[in-house]
Amino acid sequence: MSALAETGLLLDHLFRRQAGRIVAHLTRLLGPAQLDLAEESVQEAMVRALQTWPTQGVPENAEGWLFRVAHNAAIDAVRRNRALRDKTDAIVADLCRSASIPPGDPSIERRLRDDELRMIFLCCHPDIPRDSSVALSLKTVGGFSVREIARAFLADDTAIAQRLVRTKRQIRESGMTLDAPSAAEMQRRLDAALDVIYFIFNEGYTAHEGDELIRRDLCQEALRLGRLIAASSLAQPRVHALVALMALQAARSEARVDTSGNLVLLEEQDRSRWDQQLISLGFHHFDRSMSGEDVSQYHVEAAIAATHARAAADGSIDWPLILNLYGQLMELNPSPVVRLNRAVAVAKLEGPAAALDAIEPLEADPKLRDYYLLLAVRGHLLLQLNRLTEAAHCFRAALGCRCSEPERRFLRRKLEECRVG
Amino acid sequence: MPEFLLLLHDEPTRFAKMSPEEMQKATEKYMAWTKKPFYKGGKRLTPDLGRVIHANNGKPRSTDGPYSETKEVLGGFYTIEASSYDEAVQLSLSHPHLEYGGTIEVRQVWAM
Repeated sequence: MSALAETGLLLDHLFRRQAGRIVAHLTRLLGPAQLDLAEESVQEAMVRALQTWPTQGVPENAEGWLFRVAHNAAIDAVRRNRALRDKTDAIVADLCRSASIPPGDPSIERRLRDDELRMIFLCCHPDIPRDSSVALSLKTVGGFSVREIARAFLADDTAIAQRLVRTKRQIRESGMTLDAPSAAEMQRRLDAALDVIYFIFNEGYTAHEGDELIRRDLCQEALRLGRLIAASSLAQPRVHALVALMALQAARSEARVDTSGNLVLLEEQDRSRWDQQLISLGFHHFDRSMSGEDVSQYHVEAAIAATHARAAADGSIDWPLILNLYGQLMELNPSPVVRLNRAVAVAKLEGPAAALDAIEPLEADPKLRDYYLLLAVRGHLLLQLNRLTEAAHCFRAALGCRCSEPERRFLRRKLEECRVG
Repeated sequence: MPEFLLLLHDEPTRFAKMSPEEMQKATEKYMAWTKKPFYKGGKRLTPDLGRVIHANNGKPRSTDGPYSETKEVLGGFYTIEASSYDEAVQLSLSHPHLEYGGTIEVRQVWAM
């Protein structure tokens, strides 16, 4: 079977997109305690599509078809579900009313977007542990399977499945709802949601071993969720900052690896391979993030990404500005990773010896002892200082840490340089 | 050209754990197969066991079946054109149904 025949028959990601919003809509009608029922109904609609579309043809309005069939499956399931006893009739009436709305109607489109947003905020409830929020968001809103989530996080299927069961139980038992929270609570909820979205993005963006396709999907999904919030009435400057940051970083992701699969450092990247659409999307949201007084960590990180994106070639990167931004970021989030990134800017401006001093405090941190990037940066600085034996030691130690195949090749190349020099 | 009937036996629960993306890919593969030149037509059957009627010594009696012992049901049928059983089997091997763990029964249609 040719690749052409397999694709292009249906809209890209049609099922995934529709699954997320129909689950959200059904959950709104059934209540979050019936999340499983909503998911099963959507699954059943997709199985029906698989069984009927090949012989009967794709219905004219495929989205509407899935929407209606999932509603019918939910109605059947609600009627069978004895636990709902006295509520059955009311829920069935709601489902029937919802199923009768013509798909594509602007009012239902608005409603579905709203349901999806509420679902994101439910999944990212601050009382739910982040790992659980990540898994549940990807499962229910993103339409990822347990297996896909497990593959993305290098976990096993059972662990992810159990995490989902626990999270759904927590939602049921604590009586969480899809109601819009109060304005004060909304801040907390928004921060939690942005945190989960950025985590999903980073997980996809950071090059570690694992399935390349799934990781790209994670980035896309995080960007989609961010844009969904950015397009809503909840959009605050830091939402735009996060979207800008993700878009500007994602724009570079293809250029990070060359045609033979080797890692390419930012300064050496072929800028013609940067995704211009994502860059303009990034700058659009970056501009919008500037309204208001809000300066979040996302703002500073977006500013750093924007500075890199603006530089036309290696020589023109505004390193003083980047160093200054990392200084601001250190104040907002004094994490080891920020300090390490700042050291790279220090090396550019003040030389490798100053950068070595800057990362020295990190080496005492036991959590970072096996962090390959710290070892790689240190090795790189030592190599520049011609301290070859120490540099080689760092690259060898880095090779012993968890990292991707292109990174491994990069480290081996560096190790070679230590010998030649 | 001889015609062959392909009976697709299904176990619908198999798809319960697939993600929307995988379901879409499967649907597209099944759809693509029906666009092949040797494909003549097909019909989907309702997802149930159907009925089987036995003569029962002159007093016909219908029962659920015929697969009541298994979770497999006859999900649908296709007709294709092929020169021989060997070719019909060869063509059927490309059907995604097998990739997803289903069973295909191939029968030649009697030509007058």
